[in-house]
Amino acid sequence: MIDPLQAALTVAGSGLQAQSARIRIVSENIANAQSTGATPGSDPYMRKTITFSSELDKASGVPVVQVREIGFDTSAFPVVQDPGNPAADINGAVKMPNVNILTEVADMREANHSYEADLQVSQQARQLISMTIDLLRNSS
Amino acid sequence: MVDSILALATQHLDWLSSRQAVVARNVANANTPGYVAQDVQPFSALVADGGDHTGFSLSTTHPGHIAVDPTADLNTRSVVGSAWEITHSGNAVTLEQEMIKASDIHRSYSLDTAITRAFHQMLNMAAK
Repeated sequence: MIDPLQAALTVAGSGLQAQSARIRIVSENIANAQSTGATPGSDPYMRKTITFSSELDKASGVPVVQVREIGFDTSAFPVVQDPGNPAADINGAVKMPNVNILTEVADMREANHSYEADLQVSQQARQLISMTIDLLRNSS
Repeated sequence: MVDSILALATQHLDWLSSRQAVVARNVANANTPGYVAQDVQPFSALVADGGDHTGFSLSTTHPGHIAVDPTADLNTRSVVGSAWEITHSGNAVTLEQEMIKASDIHRSYSLDTAITRAFHQMLNMAAK
C-alpha cells in the first residue's frame, strides 16, 4: 500500500486520463456528424459511446478508474433525401450518422466538469504534501 | 502530554490523507456506472475506544489484530444514504459534495500542521 496522498494523486490522474478519453470520443463523434457511407445505401458513421469502471491497479494497489469499453450507439440512422449524394440509394435516400450535436456538447460539458474536479483534487493532494514538508522547514 | 498531542495530530493527519485518497477515488469515478461514493470511518470512531491510556490508538478486540496505523488499510465504508443524488446509471457521486469534503480536509490538515509546528516550537524552546 502506497502513501494515501500518493494514492490520491494516482487515482485523480487516472480520472483525468479517463475524462480525456471521453472528450476524444466526443470530438470523434462531432467531427463525424456528417460522415455518410461511401457506397450507395451503405451505413454512415456510427456514434461511439464510452463507459468507465473502477479497477485495481496491480502495480500500486490503488483502485483507479479505467475505460471499460468503447461501444457503438445502435440507435436508428436518420434518413434524408439527397439524390446527388454518393451514398444515396435508388430512391435518393441517404442515411446520416446518429450523432446529435446537442447531446455531444452536453456530454463534453460533463466531461469538462469532471476533469476540473479531478484537477482540483490532485492540486489539493499536492498542497497537503507540501504542507507536510513545510513542517520540516520551520521547526529547526 | 505534548507527546500524546503530537501523536493525535499525526494520527489525524494520517486519517485525513486516507480521506483525501477516498475523495480522489470518488471524484475519479464520478461517471462510472454503479459506483457509490465512499467515505472513511469518522475519526472520532477511531480514537474513542482506544485500548491504551491515551485513548488515541486503535482498539484490538481480537488477538489477530495488529495495533498499527489505524488508516493504513484505507478502511472505507459505503455510504449510500448520504449521497446527495443517484443518477440513472446507478452512480452516486456528487462532485459538489466531494469538493466540500475536500475543502474540509484541507482546512483540518492545515490546522493539524499548524498545531504540530506550534508544539515543535514549544519543545524547541524548552530544549534550548
